[in-house]
Amino acid sequence: MTQVVVGQILNGIILGSLYGIIALGVTMTFGITGIVNFALGQFMMIGAYATWYFTDLAKFPFPVAVALAVLISAAAGLLADQALFRFTRNNLVNGLLVSIGLISVTESVALLLFTTTPKNMDTVIAGSWTLGAITLPRMKVVAFLLLAAVIGLTWLGLSRAWLGRATRAYAQNPEAAMLMGVPTKLLQTGVVVYSCAIAGFGGALYACLFSLEPTLGGLFILKGVESAILAGVGNLLGALAGGVILGVTESVGSLYLPSAFRDAYGLVFLVAILLFRPAGLFGGQK
Amino acid sequence: MLLKVENLTKRFGGLVAVSDVSFGIEKGEIIGIFGPNGSGKTTLLSLLAGLLPPTAGHVFWKGEDIAGARPNVIASRGVIKTFQNPQLFSELSVFEHVMIASFLAFTRIKDHSRLSSFLAPGKGEAALRARAEKALSLCRLQGASEKSAAELSYGEEKMLGVAMAMMCEPELLLLDEPASGLGNDEIHNLENVLRDLRAHGTTLCIIDHKVAFLAKFADQAIALQQGCKIAQGRPNDVLADPAVVKAYLGRSHHA
Amino acid sequence: MKALWFLIPLYLLPLVVTSDTVLTVLIFTFLLSILAIGFNIVFGGAGQLTMFHAAAFGIGSYATFLSMLHFGLPFWLGFLVAVVVIVLVSIVIGWICFKFRLKEFYFAVVTMAFAELCRLIALNWTSVTNGTLGMLVLEKPTLWLPGSGIVKIEQTTPWYFLTLASLTVVLVFSALLMRSWIGRNFSAIRLNEDLAQTLGIDTFRYKLLAFTISNVIAAFAGALYGFYTGFIEPSYLSVTQSLDAIAMALLGGVSTILGPVVGALVLTSLPHLIELPAELRVAVYGIILILVILVMPRGIVGLAAGFFKRQTHAS
Repeated sequence: MTQVVVGQILNGIILGSLYGIIALGVTMTFGITGIVNFALGQFMMIGAYATWYFTDLAKFPFPVAVALAVLISAAAGLLADQALFRFTRNNLVNGLLVSIGLISVTESVALLLFTTTPKNMDTVIAGSWTLGAITLPRMKVVAFLLLAAVIGLTWLGLSRAWLGRATRAYAQNPEAAMLMGVPTKLLQTGVVVYSCAIAGFGGALYACLFSLEPTLGGLFILKGVESAILAGVGNLLGALAGGVILGVTESVGSLYLPSAFRDAYGLVFLVAILLFRPAGLFGGQK
Repeated sequence: MLLKVENLTKRFGGLVAVSDVSFGIEKGEIIGIFGPNGSGKTTLLSLLAGLLPPTAGHVFWKGEDIAGARPNVIASRGVIKTFQNPQLFSELSVFEHVMIASFLAFTRIKDHSRLSSFLAPGKGEAALRARAEKALSLCRLQGASEKSAAELSYGEEKMLGVAMAMMCEPELLLLDEPASGLGNDEIHNLENVLRDLRAHGTTLCIIDHKVAFLAKFADQAIALQQGCKIAQGRPNDVLADPAVVKAYLGRSHHA
Repeated sequence: MKALWFLIPLYLLPLVVTSDTVLTVLIFTFLLSILAIGFNIVFGGAGQLTMFHAAAFGIGSYATFLSMLHFGLPFWLGFLVAVVVIVLVSIVIGWICFKFRLKEFYFAVVTMAFAELCRLIALNWTSVTNGTLGMLVLEKPTLWLPGSGIVKIEQTTPWYFLTLASLTVVLVFSALLMRSWIGRNFSAIRLNEDLAQTLGIDTFRYKLLAFTISNVIAAFAGALYGFYTGFIEPSYLSVTQSLDAIAMALLGGVSTILGPVVGALVLTSLPHLIELPAELRVAVYGIILILVILVMPRGIVGLAAGFFKRQTHAS
């Protein structure tokens, strides 16, 4: 019994860290460009399919495939930014509508290229570690550590490196930052590209763990936005925590409540948070 | 007493914008509130109009405590506020602005059916349209009625704000710096409008920098500094009050 | 209001055109126009971006059909039941959103969440809704017509007139609404909610009203649509369906009366004019949505209206 619960908790943590990396992208994009990039899940999907393609079909070594996938996601992000998001800065409604348009396009193309048949990547890291009575699949643990590392490094970069401080300064007071020479346009594009890149990275890891469908983006963005709102939009480290909380709640919840509704738990959480603690669980500090 | 403010306080985190302010306004009075920048004048008016919830204190309107009530409730009770920086509905025409502002008057018309207004607005709303045109002409905006609000000059925008406020049939009109940014002609027009309102029985509460403007009109004056009331009384007495003079750092009341 | 005269030739069309394809395209156009008009009222009017629209559409279909199935009601009574359901749902969701003053973006997210919830219910409550398999609708609406008595609406031509008449009713209602004090209050809320409040407008009540009205209209479209196509499934409540309505309303011109109809006409006839694989149809909608937002925010009708205004000013 414990194995099942622990297994679900681990699943929840993995899923949660994937939600978290999307949540991180959502929060960063919102802070710097004033919109929520609802299409972020699509870049995760792009990263996932790219990884699968390069590993299984092109037979590249796994790390190379991941690097390529991240690059492709980043490039796609750059394209989206220059063609679309550049024109919707600080306009939440237009940004949302444009994102939705982008989702339709990318999902349709993915459907055309890959069909609805789920794709499964060959195992990258097999086997598991045993801790007493508990079995921990290696791939899952590695995935979690990598995702947590990316989120942690992002946070570190934003709090220490010059670019990071400039980003935070801009988020707090755009005009002052501009007057101080912070290259705002570059910053905004940079944040969009970076968030797409890490979404792609998340997708690469997703591909190692789950089967791929063109619609995976839609699911993850909703969870990512929920996690970001749960943690408090603007809170970077909180993004990981928010994601994990959501993931664990869903996974453990589906043990005891009808699993068909697992997606609903997050929604209920979300609505409750927005109503009673609009600043999120961890407050609204940037 | 029409409006009685008791110990009204507003805190924003550590900053106290309005501190323990109390005063009363009688029906038909014109009361002027002035003070240096940051003295809490606009915050006070926002509190009275319901745009901000108070941290403490009471606002008794005809005996009923309206502190913390929603702005539309307070407006329906007859307390209307204009904005220092004109608030408008971009895209819409001047006439559409005053027609929107006719909503309160619309709700008060007892004897016509909402259904007929819905089905044939041309007939059902004739009276309101006439009133709207009158308000516009009083504010010297009758020529601009088809103009988009985005095309108005600053002075015209402010007068549109006054016209909209008039449409709401205010018993107490809170005017936030109505004369600021206006040219002499426009100020003259504004004075006429305010005199009309007063003759109509409307009670006025005016904030302004231009102390001379206030001193001409007001029956009572209140001086604020850093959120506190430092003087109250007849305008000339208040202006001569040493605390007030000190607050303005030696500025004479000819400013 | 004057714009509604264009409906008259549409009533005469079946006398001239007998092509089933054309009439069918028009039927879908009329049905989706109704859906788009509903969206226009809450978004173009009151400025609230709702992602619940398709859910209302689907609930309209399911509720009408289920009440016919389980209570033996005729179509219009079944639809009345659906209206009661959708009004209750709108009040609950709207109350939650507006009482807590959710700003535009959060409103969109929360309505999206609720729509997803409804879709999940439709998908999983298989005992009632048959889940992903959907339900076959074999019943048809009936109308009492002078001279013929009670008529079942089954063939293309009767459906054409039923949907056109429904569109007329909804268009007239929407035109009356937007030029009444209610429509004025909606615009006030959309453009400057704080100012609207200080002018005495209860923004909570009017936002709730806009949301409810738009959902009822969407439910109406859904009920007719489900019975016309003869099939109801959970995808009716999907985000893609909402996207269709949004794209049509925006393409035609939000804040215009005729915009939704024009948008619906263009997007419904598009697949018939250009051969496209089914997957790309959604992509085209997406591209159109993007283009409209970036290049043509006032939509086709908005552009045309602006053009004519400039012409009359010039002369």
